[in-house]
Amino acid sequence: MDETLFAPLTTLGASLVLLFGVVLLWRRSLNAYIQAFKWQSVILSGVFFLVGYFGHDPELYGVGVALLGLKVFFIPHLLGRLRKRVGADHEITPYVNIATSLLIGGMLVLLAYVLMRPVVTVSTLPTRGALPLALGLVFIGLFVLITRKKAITQVVGFLVMENGIALLAVLGTYGIPLIIEMGVFLDLLMGILVMQVFIYQIQDTFESIDVDRLTHLKH
Amino acid sequence: MLFLLLLLPSLLAALLALVVRPYRPAVGWSNAVLSLAAFGAALGVAGHAIAGEILVWGPGDLFRADSLSALLMVCVSAVAAMTLFLSPGLGRSAAFTDRQLRRYHLFINLFIFSMLLAVSVNNIGIMWIAIEATTVFSAMVIPLTLSKASVEASWKYILICSVGIALAFVGTVLGYFDFVALSGRAENALNWPVLLNFAPHLHPEVMRIAFIFLLIGYGTKAGLAPMHTWLPDAHSESPATLSALMSGVLLAVAMYALLRWKMVVDATLGDGFTDTLLLTLGLLTLFIAAFSLVRASNYKRMLAYSSVEHTGLICIGLALGPIGTFAAMYHIVNHAAAKSMMFFLSGRILHRFHSTELGAVRGLLKVMPATAILFAAGMLALVGLPPFGLFMSEFALVRAGFVTGHPWLMALLLVLLAVAFVALLRHLNSMLHGTPTAEIATGEDHRWGLVPMLMSVAVLLVLGFYLPASFQSLLDGIAALVTH
Amino acid sequence: MNAYLLELAQALISLAVAPLLVGFIGWLKARLQGRRGAPPWQPYFVLRKLFSKEVIVSEHASWLFRFAPYVVFGSGVAVTLLIPLFCVPLPFDAMGDLLMVVYLMLLGTFFLALAGLDPGTAFGGMGASREMTVAAIAEPTIALAIFSLALRAGSTNLGQIVVNTLADPTVALNAGHLLAFVALFVVTLAETGRIPIDNPSTHLELTMIHEAMILEHSGRHLALIEWASGLKLLIFFSLLANLFVPWGVATTLSPVYLLIALPIWIGKLGLLAVVVAVLETRLAKLRLFRVPELLSMSFVLALLAVISSFLLR
Repeated sequence: MDETLFAPLTTLGASLVLLFGVVLLWRRSLNAYIQAFKWQSVILSGVFFLVGYFGHDPELYGVGVALLGLKVFFIPHLLGRLRKRVGADHEITPYVNIATSLLIGGMLVLLAYVLMRPVVTVSTLPTRGALPLALGLVFIGLFVLITRKKAITQVVGFLVMENGIALLAVLGTYGIPLIIEMGVFLDLLMGILVMQVFIYQIQDTFESIDVDRLTHLKH
Repeated sequence: MLFLLLLLPSLLAALLALVVRPYRPAVGWSNAVLSLAAFGAALGVAGHAIAGEILVWGPGDLFRADSLSALLMVCVSAVAAMTLFLSPGLGRSAAFTDRQLRRYHLFINLFIFSMLLAVSVNNIGIMWIAIEATTVFSAMVIPLTLSKASVEASWKYILICSVGIALAFVGTVLGYFDFVALSGRAENALNWPVLLNFAPHLHPEVMRIAFIFLLIGYGTKAGLAPMHTWLPDAHSESPATLSALMSGVLLAVAMYALLRWKMVVDATLGDGFTDTLLLTLGLLTLFIAAFSLVRASNYKRMLAYSSVEHTGLICIGLALGPIGTFAAMYHIVNHAAAKSMMFFLSGRILHRFHSTELGAVRGLLKVMPATAILFAAGMLALVGLPPFGLFMSEFALVRAGFVTGHPWLMALLLVLLAVAFVALLRHLNSMLHGTPTAEIATGEDHRWGLVPMLMSVAVLLVLGFYLPASFQSLLDGIAALVTH
Repeated sequence: MNAYLLELAQALISLAVAPLLVGFIGWLKARLQGRRGAPPWQPYFVLRKLFSKEVIVSEHASWLFRFAPYVVFGSGVAVTLLIPLFCVPLPFDAMGDLLMVVYLMLLGTFFLALAGLDPGTAFGGMGASREMTVAAIAEPTIALAIFSLALRAGSTNLGQIVVNTLADPTVALNAGHLLAFVALFVVTLAETGRIPIDNPSTHLELTMIHEAMILEHSGRHLALIEWASGLKLLIFFSLLANLFVPWGVATTLSPVYLLIALPIWIGKLGLLAVVVAVLETRLAKLRLFRVPELLSMSFVLALLAVISSFLLR
């Protein structure tokens, strides 16, 4: 493939990844969130493979495969099972309504662009143009985590944040050292397993996974 | 070699807890003994650091111990040892089921392992991984007894801290990015000495943004305001021994991470930027903690807010140059000793009074005299009264503030400390005196459990009177790291 | 060929093709639903019938009610003179600015809404308020989406955008381009009153937006308004086709190129018509409170398109 296609293709991939993140602000159904995360991770692995090919770094292929296994198969499967067991379906009344969330999401991407200006000027890599999109995704994940009431949505928001950080790493540095990347995956896996256990516990003690109900610990 | 001796015992202990089904008290005892081995190893490392040697070991210089690491290793392993000796499940009372005890011992040892790993690795990336692991492992122990409050606390804990750690990772990636942008990719790029060496060449604008992310991220873990909201909940709902570990040393490990990065960023930007940020956050933390202490209605939450207060103090100390860092590190040791002791004691009080409400605890002096005296001693230490060590470290901190030219800020700090002082003593008073309710049994059970607390008080008293030469040279070593 | 004659021909051809486009979509939907459906040229018969019918005006209506259909129709025709349909550059293109086009279309919508309010009927007011809710988010989205293209091309002149995109094909691959396309497509569905935003063939109070506004009109007024909505559909389809996939637009005024460009343009319109028909058959109409959510989504896409075009230069 032609070298000049590298930058536009990675930008395209990063934009699609961001778009799936925006879907989290738009849809209400928990299943849609899990599917959006799944497809986002598919495209993210694609970006990893792309950078591995053009950046001549075969390690990234391995990382991409691990990402596929973890975030496309295992975690969505886990979350899907959790969702069915817990019986939650829709995010009915988020703290910030959908239209406003979408507008704030757009503003967050703009903020990411402003913050990343010095970083983009410093970099010489062809993938640098898409760096703000990755940070924007991190912010959108954070926003979803803060403003949504169902515990599963908060977990998906966190996962989307992690995807954003992975994208940031691969676009900015062609991937962090392998051992750290693997450590990050391990941490993420453990974190998700623990969160899953907690959501079952929340369901058992509160009869719902509405984070709104967790108000026993005031000051 | 010492590193192996430091890290393996906790792994072994966790393995034991995992493998032995059903749980037996022997597991608890062997865990406690293993932790002593780790403590010994930490002392060994400290010995090398005092002598001025930097220990490096492992493939690609994986492990490295300078004075800073050594200090924290000693703190962590000491508190860990006390915790494991005072843990439930050593054959005393049957407050927990076997399953709960097995889970407790498995995860608390993994938690201790990850904390020790965080302070002994050379690579800032692996340090991050270890700190993230601490969140996960400690979260598993918080809801040991399921209740609405503990489930809520654990959920808030894992969510907020994971988010914080993720943001810290963004900062780490940005730092790595800058290094790569300048000198290409390298396997050891995130090794701390390499990064520090290269730091003067890094781009200021990028490192500025990176530090902001790192501060918010590791600050969340350390309990700095306004990201501290998880702390009172998590520390009050967990079992007392876990709270001791978390309050005493986990916050310190997070500040350690922050200090490591601060040294790198200061080499790039000069210390004005980081100092201003740390001062602001530290004072805000202190402010919120002091006023929350006034309103506290639950003694475990009160202790948690006191941890927030002391984290704020440590943060301010780190912003006051080498003298301030000296004071802050001194303070970490003092606080670890005092706070862990307080939480152990609160566990005993909870066991007797069956409630964590301040209103429910009355007449402690009559009910459990020894506990009460130790509790009072600990509280006096925490508010910074002489002759305890915290007085000396807070004094050193304020002096550092005056020397570096922040007299008004130090005045504000003293006012806030006074507010906390009054609040804590008032609560202490209400707990110690008064008449207890009739059903509360009097007298101590399990007096041997008080021995570790006596040791903590002894340490605090010693540090309050004079600074042992070896300890001082360790602290000097740390201050030297920060001077440029 | 004389460029001005070509402009005129462009307007006339648009007027001729617009009803066919609407009819084609209706026929295709019928076929997809398993019905025979009215033939694609049915709208011509409808227009002829309407033009011969009497105009009944409510006694509560003012001059605005009689004036509005002409404004709507006129603005539609004016836009067809300004945008690149199958040939660039044309003399009026210099006025074919992005803002001019957006304002003209908004002018039509505005007068339509006013005319809905004017007679004082319940349906008219309801339709007008719903239409304004949609337009409030859709109009900025059009502006932003086309603006992102303008940033790339270096000019807000639509004809210029087409020429520049033709000159540099790799532009079509970039993210801003695609985001703007999706945003503009959603807005097309919104502005022309297609499912999932509005149902063009319903007269149920619960579901109609556009139809509610024009309920009071009759005779030649209704004919002009129906023709104008067909023109709007044609305009939006042409914008979608020519700004994003400009290959096939003639760049010189020679007869040969024009003869090739015309069928290509009709073909693009037909393709878009097929897509819209399939979407209308497959999707259900959104409940009214969900419509701002969809439109905000397209607004954010357009915003992202602008951000990426602006800051990725």
